Amino acid sequence: MLSRVVLSAAATEAPALKNAALLGPGALQTARIFHTGQPSLAPVPPLPEYGGKVRFGLIPEEFFQFLYPKTGVTGPYMLGTGLILYFLSKEIYVVTAEMFSSIATIGLLIYGIKKYGPSVAEFADKLNEDKLAKLEEAKQASIKSIQDAIDMEKAQQALVQKRHYLFDVQRNNIAMSLEVTYRERLHRVYREVKNRLDYHISVQNVARRKEQEHMISWVEKSVVQSISAQQERETIAKCIQDLQLLAKKAQAQPVM
Amino acid sequence: MNENLFTSFSTPTLMGLPIIIMIIAFPALLYPTSNRLISNRIRTLQQYLINLILKQMMAIHSPKGRTWSLMLMSLIIFIASTNLLGLLPHTFTPTTQLSINLGLAIPLWAGAVILGFRYKFKTSVSHFLPQGTPILLIPMLIIIETISLFIQPMALAVRLTANITAGHLLMHLIGAATLALFSISTSTALITFIILLLLTILEFAVALIQAYVFTLLVSLYLHDNT
Repeated sequence: MLSRVVLSAAATEAPALKNAALLGPGALQTARIFHTGQPSLAPVPPLPEYGGKVRFGLIPEEFFQFLYPKTGVTGPYMLGTGLILYFLSKEIYVVTAEMFSSIATIGLLIYGIKKYGPSVAEFADKLNEDKLAKLEEAKQASIKSIQDAIDMEKAQQALVQKRHYLFDVQRNNIAMSLEVTYRERLHRVYREVKNRLDYHISVQNVARRKEQEHMISWVEKSVVQSISAQQERETIAKCIQDLQLLAKKAQAQPVM
Repeated sequence: MNENLFTSFSTPTLMGLPIIIMIIAFPALLYPTSNRLISNRIRTLQQYLINLILKQMMAIHSPKGRTWSLMLMSLIIFIASTNLLGLLPHTFTPTTQLSINLGLAIPLWAGAVILGFRYKFKTSVSHFLPQGTPILLIPMLIIIETISLFIQPMALAVRLTANITAGHLLMHLIGAATLALFSISTSTALITFIILLLLTILEFAVALIQAYVFTLLVSLYLHDNT
């Protein structure tokens, strides 16, 4: 960690330090020239995704790599152990009450970090993801609404092409209703004319019947007038004779 | 023994120069800022926590009271971080010094009270007389309420100082007990060490709680007076 602070300090002090690119990870940021005029905020420079690798949470990996060529793998550990023992034995680090409280505090901190570290990191990642998801959702909703508008517009345009069907149907309807009205009126005219003709015919029939009845009654009246009294007596006597003959004939048959 | 016990509370100097100002300003370095929408984990967590505390604390205030949000948030973050950093070994905690706590408490309390007296004189003065007191008790009660008003900043400062100082002293003493018992009987030292662990857990809680209480009380005084 300290090495990186040194690197960035070196880059700020000597911006023309081109061989800063050779000094390990973080080179992308340390090779940038700082404090030259207006800083541009877009495009936003990328953040490194993970921090530098450390051992024991304190000592960066680069230190171990630095000592590796000369002392191998165990070199830094020997150095650390030796330093600690030196400080303790020479009483540069004095064993006081504070040591125990520091053991308690730091032990508690390490325990807490080891136990709850991953879940807290996951929580932080989830917070970021939720933020991104909300923005993404807004973007998608906007895209979708515009797409829906486009589709609706296309559908409307297609419908406009088919409008002539509607007009044909309307035209047919109107023609049909005109035809129906015409026929209806024609029929009415026919009925009215027939009515009047029927009236004339029935008037004629009534007149003819009246004439017939009048003639018949006149004929009967004149025939009845023409029958004299003598003719009437003769006719009645003949009828009585006929009836007597019939009576005699009738008696001859047996009664059933 | 006495000298060792209280040396951790003396004003820190480096080669004769007081570096107390740097120590007070140091916690601010631990809170990164960024212009980005999505940042790294520590910044996300910091944002989330500050939002949570802000909403929780400023919900009860009117818009006039909410103009104090920045002040109160800075206050709670300062006190919480100095308290927590003080738990690390060989560190100096500014909030153990009465001077610093008075410097925090008196201006904030005075600001709240003066605001109240300036803009809502009748309401502020009416706080001196609770409702429904018998007439005979009124003079005494007003005196008592005045005293309780003026004791508020003192109480704020002394409460914080006493709590943190007592916690540190206790940890120091039990640590010393463990150290002394180590050479006499290891098992007793172990028990004492367990007590020390429990105490450390308590101290972490106290550190956070004291910050909260301080800020809450200031906000309460503010609420009364806006």
